[in-house]
Amino acid sequence: MLALDAITLRAGDPPLNHVFTDAAITVVLGANRSGKTLLCRVIAGLTSPHSGELLLDDAPLASYLERPVALVTQSFVNYPAWTVADNIASPLTARGVARSVRDTKARDIARKLGLEALLHRYPHELSGGQQQRVAIGRALAKGARVLVLDEPLVNLDYKLREALREELRGLLVAEGLTVIYTTTDPVDAFAMAHDVVLMEDHGFVQSGAPLDVYRQPKSFTAAALMSEPTVNALSDGKTVGAIRPEHVRLTRPGDGAVKELQLLVEEVETNGTHTFIHGLVGRDGWIVKVEGMVRAEIDRPLQVWVREADILRFESH
Amino acid sequence: MAAIELSGVSFRYPGSTGEAIENLSLNVDDKATHALLGASGAGKTTMLNLLSGLLLPTSGRILFGDRDVSAVPAAKRNVAQVFQFPVLYPRMNVLENLVFPLCNNGWKKLDAAARALEIAKELGIEIVLEANVSALTLFERQLVAIGRALVRPDVALVLLDEPLTSVQPELKWRLRRTLRKVQADLGVTMIYVTHDQTEALTFASAVSVMHGGHILQTGSPMEVHDHPEHEYVGFFIGSPGMNFVKAEVKRGAVRVNGTALASTDHAEGECTVGFRADWAMLAPDGLPVEITGFRPDAVQNGMPVGIASLKHDGNRLHVRAEGLIAPGPSHVQLKHHMLFREGRRVA
Repeated sequence: MLALDAITLRAGDPPLNHVFTDAAITVVLGANRSGKTLLCRVIAGLTSPHSGELLLDDAPLASYLERPVALVTQSFVNYPAWTVADNIASPLTARGVARSVRDTKARDIARKLGLEALLHRYPHELSGGQQQRVAIGRALAKGARVLVLDEPLVNLDYKLREALREELRGLLVAEGLTVIYTTTDPVDAFAMAHDVVLMEDHGFVQSGAPLDVYRQPKSFTAAALMSEPTVNALSDGKTVGAIRPEHVRLTRPGDGAVKELQLLVEEVETNGTHTFIHGLVGRDGWIVKVEGMVRAEIDRPLQVWVREADILRFESH
Repeated sequence: MAAIELSGVSFRYPGSTGEAIENLSLNVDDKATHALLGASGAGKTTMLNLLSGLLLPTSGRILFGDRDVSAVPAAKRNVAQVFQFPVLYPRMNVLENLVFPLCNNGWKKLDAAARALEIAKELGIEIVLEANVSALTLFERQLVAIGRALVRPDVALVLLDEPLTSVQPELKWRLRRTLRKVQADLGVTMIYVTHDQTEALTFASAVSVMHGGHILQTGSPMEVHDHPEHEYVGFFIGSPGMNFVKAEVKRGAVRVNGTALASTDHAEGECTVGFRADWAMLAPDGLPVEITGFRPDAVQNGMPVGIASLKHDGNRLHVRAEGLIAPGPSHVQLKHHMLFREGRRVA
């Protein structure tokens, strides 16, 4: 079991306490510059925390080289002049393991990752998704118990991202690895996470199962982080309400108390499956997410409705 | 500005065995917005270079209006291009960057400045005209790059190569909206190249889906989403993509391993049945599947909703579902479907 015990990333940062669920994926979700990469480096042992301790099974973690932790970064670095087999086996090469043993191990790992047919290829002959699997294969060869993936899908196009989310999840769960996966995209958290940890300004905002965090965010920030796109704000002076884009409706809901609002439409964007209507409610920028391809006239007011039950209320400060 | 017409255009890179672009035809109306959408390797970059004149077609014709530019090199085509990252002169201020393409073309300084101001106003960057471009945000710099592309009134075509890439995700839509507004105001012909379906479907009035050096389908955003003419188009557009299952038409029904899924009056024989995640539902009977996962991404009226991952005959399928869905055997029923033969839609 991997635990953070009052870790501070830099001087003056809030202490981080968290116990990562064994053999499960924990998604660390935060905006750019919230401290995700620094956290990854600290867990991998590339950077020392400012204070606090990292514990594995209640014992402090060893130094970088002996640490059973592997880090895969967004640029999925592979050795360009080495074949897939040699790339996967590289941690064993570093330890002086015999070639025959390395080759067998590399082949076993490649099979699990669906790379068996590519063992003799070079990284530049692989697709982005395949290159990434090679980088993960290297982590498996290292015998890591903890795999840290720092924004692994960020450089890939959306169709590949969609496929890899599902593929990666199955693979990592089957391997029984404790996975820490950082992202800026709540879709990754919904699709992959056993637990999600929300991060802001080098601190943890909230953690829990994705749907629990979605249902009961502790703060406006937590609601906004666990929302794709971000939440809409509705303030009444005493409290501030957060409304998820999928909870703003274009037809009046039949049940319960509702709020009726005017949205001045600024832009309508669609991916075919959903339409996102951007606009203004008063002076606040809002986004409405509706299913299918929906038309709305730009620069025109649009009547929208929100169920009171869907408004997440927080004290305003 | 001009209508753009490609007829039977092929291109083969020197030394390569296959055609990067093969017998491709495309019509873009004058003053229209057109998107070329495809994954990496589809031929989008080759198309950009053929349109700008950096590459000349091996065969076929390219017309700008009634001018045949097939053999005309880039410098003489009057094509402006906006790249993924803003390409500007870093030591010049915004105004100097904007007037540069005009002064190069023999414009008088005063006229050039007047035109630059007009474009700057259109883009909402007139207040930063004096600023050095290095002092601007990426968003503002990309606006200046767009301004540079639009400043010459004699430009026949503006090519946009993933122009929103460098902009923060939450600002992308603003830049896209600005692009569309200036396109409409100035009446420019724009071809927008992207792998991102949202950008293509939102920006353009017509979308061409590219794959393997071909255009598989050209249509309005609604048409390519709702009526894919090709399996690949159904797969590529939409999130998740369309599901496909090997089937046959027999005795007036679409059947998978004998199980009737829907009635049809289409000709009997083997085919592929295609359906989107929201055209299907989990049910007590129908197509037998194994539920492998359910990852809700929202709660509606107290109920978790999302996409269920299913397996059928080793194939992965996705169906929209709600409630508490446990892994295990289940069935799928279709509310709506399409039939494909040899990759093409037949019903």
